[in-house]
Amino acid sequence: MAIAGALIWAAVIGTLIYATRERRRVQSEHAAGLLILWGGAIIPALLLGLLLGYALWLMPDIRPWSAPGEPAGLRIEVEGEQFWWRVRYHPADGPPVDAANEIRLPVGERVEFTLTSSDVIHSFWIPVLGGKMDMIPGRTNRLTLRAAKTGTYRGPCTEFCGTSHALMAFSVVVMEPDAFRDWLADEARPSPGAGAPGGELFIANGCPACHTVRGTEATGAVGPDLSHVGSRETLAAGIMPVDVEAIASFISKPDAIKPGAQMPAFGMLPEADIAAIAAYLEGLK
Amino acid sequence: MIKFHWKHIAIALAILPFVAVFVAWIGFFNIGASTGHWKITEWFLHLAMRSAVRTYSLAVEVPERLPIEGIQPAAGHFARGCAICHGAPGEPRSPSVLRMLPRPPDLAPVMGTWSDAELFRIVKYGVRFTGMPAWPTQERDDEVWAMVAFLRALPQMDAPTYRELAIGGEGGAAMPANDFETALADCARCHGRDGRGRSEHVPIISGQRQEYLRASLEAFAERKRPSGVMELAAVEADPRLFSDLARHFASQPPVSAPAAGSSDAARGREIAERGIPERKVPACLSCHGGAPRNPVYPKLDGQHASYLKTQLRLFAEGKRGGTPYAHLMEQTARSLEADDIEDLAAYFSSAK
Repeated sequence: MAIAGALIWAAVIGTLIYATRERRRVQSEHAAGLLILWGGAIIPALLLGLLLGYALWLMPDIRPWSAPGEPAGLRIEVEGEQFWWRVRYHPADGPPVDAANEIRLPVGERVEFTLTSSDVIHSFWIPVLGGKMDMIPGRTNRLTLRAAKTGTYRGPCTEFCGTSHALMAFSVVVMEPDAFRDWLADEARPSPGAGAPGGELFIANGCPACHTVRGTEATGAVGPDLSHVGSRETLAAGIMPVDVEAIASFISKPDAIKPGAQMPAFGMLPEADIAAIAAYLEGLK
Repeated sequence: MIKFHWKHIAIALAILPFVAVFVAWIGFFNIGASTGHWKITEWFLHLAMRSAVRTYSLAVEVPERLPIEGIQPAAGHFARGCAICHGAPGEPRSPSVLRMLPRPPDLAPVMGTWSDAELFRIVKYGVRFTGMPAWPTQERDDEVWAMVAFLRALPQMDAPTYRELAIGGEGGAAMPANDFETALADCARCHGRDGRGRSEHVPIISGQRQEYLRASLEAFAERKRPSGVMELAAVEADPRLFSDLARHFASQPPVSAPAAGSSDAARGREIAERGIPERKVPACLSCHGGAPRNPVYPKLDGQHASYLKTQLRLFAEGKRGGTPYAHLMEQTARSLEADDIEDLAAYFSSAK
């Protein structure tokens, strides 16, 4: 595609140079007519026709629905919120699995995204995988992507959505299909760290009002699901590493790290309690 | 004959302020209170005061009904904050107060000359140059309206009724309260020794969590929780007594408020247990529930519905203040609609 583009560009520029350099030699009406016919109609029509054919050939892959008879694949529901991403995996054969701020994909498989928003317009974009799609409150947009190779990528919010728009991103991890299925099964289960010390502080201070940690009494649905937050690539929607220090600082002053974040600051908790909760969350692998 | 020129007038006007300062500096004008104002000064000051109160009261929104259930705590506050200057039924004033200038009026005879809005205006904002202070906090009007309701009832009030309302069986409004018994007696004037509260306007604190009570007393004393009544009460008790007072009320057996009106307690329960996730309202019981929670989070079960509603509205307006944890409620309270608040108050007031 790049080579074809370069050739066309070179031809156009060549013609231009030819037209300006050559002494004014009057062309016959016949020669001019031929130039217009070939250069202005036949060649562009052929090229565009080829491109159209190529695009049509690609289309079945990017259409956002499954063909009749085609087995339904993985669907991932992503909801934009100020300023994070609510992610829910709907595997073809099993109950939905909740997560947040990270999307994992099986390589080589078509994955359908249903995109919506709970507050303002956000936009979903994984630049390496495909085009962007707006997330509009009260409406569900559909997008299908197929990841061609494994790796870790980044997806930003690409529609200005508030003070922390620039601090709203997610990581994308493309995995081998088997590894992906193992991971999803793990994700659906409680983390081995769910019963660890620190959990009682997480509950006593009311964190479950907004957050879920599977396997505990924390079932809040207002904020991001934290069931496996310790195993994510990033913290706070793509802006910090997942380590105890970063988690502790976000607990004590979320609004300073992420202006406009809905989470209230818990800096009034004793420092030791914050550290214990941070260590607990980091252990939710 | 001197011919006045505009230049002379301008010069005279320019000099005038200096003359005024000079005359004041000489100190010839007698500012003593013993002789009172000249008649004309008194007439003019009174005219200016009444007119200003009348004009500014035009902007006051009067509630449909004065909160008569607040008369008891307002009487308790009156006994501490107001009676010293204005006197009270059966309580003559000190001769020194009577020599203030202007003399604080005996309220019963003048109540009929003021409208509710004018009384609100005076109680909330005070009156300049008279010694009448503004309400200790400007953040909330519910307490001021309770005081207006009390003032309306004052002219018909006899001494025993007043004593029963303001003091109950206790010894009187002591200030400062330096020992536990005196401080407890002072609390008990409105809260009762059992913490059940002597009116619907007073929250039930019997059986409340000790840590919450202690932190709230501190918040009142440090003016981090606006309340004209409680700020005054808290600063007049020795802060070292807060823990003991909190322990006393926390150890009283919990009681339940009488069931509230017609609101939908079942829906309130639903919100309390599950929240309203689509509107980002978390479940109340995550913090206010029964399982072991941070002891600084208050219990809400059995609390007066009217108290709960007032607090939620104050939280939503960002005026509630309170313990260092109080801000946790603000976002949540803003997400609640009027119906939700009614239903939640109905649920918690009937919960055991």
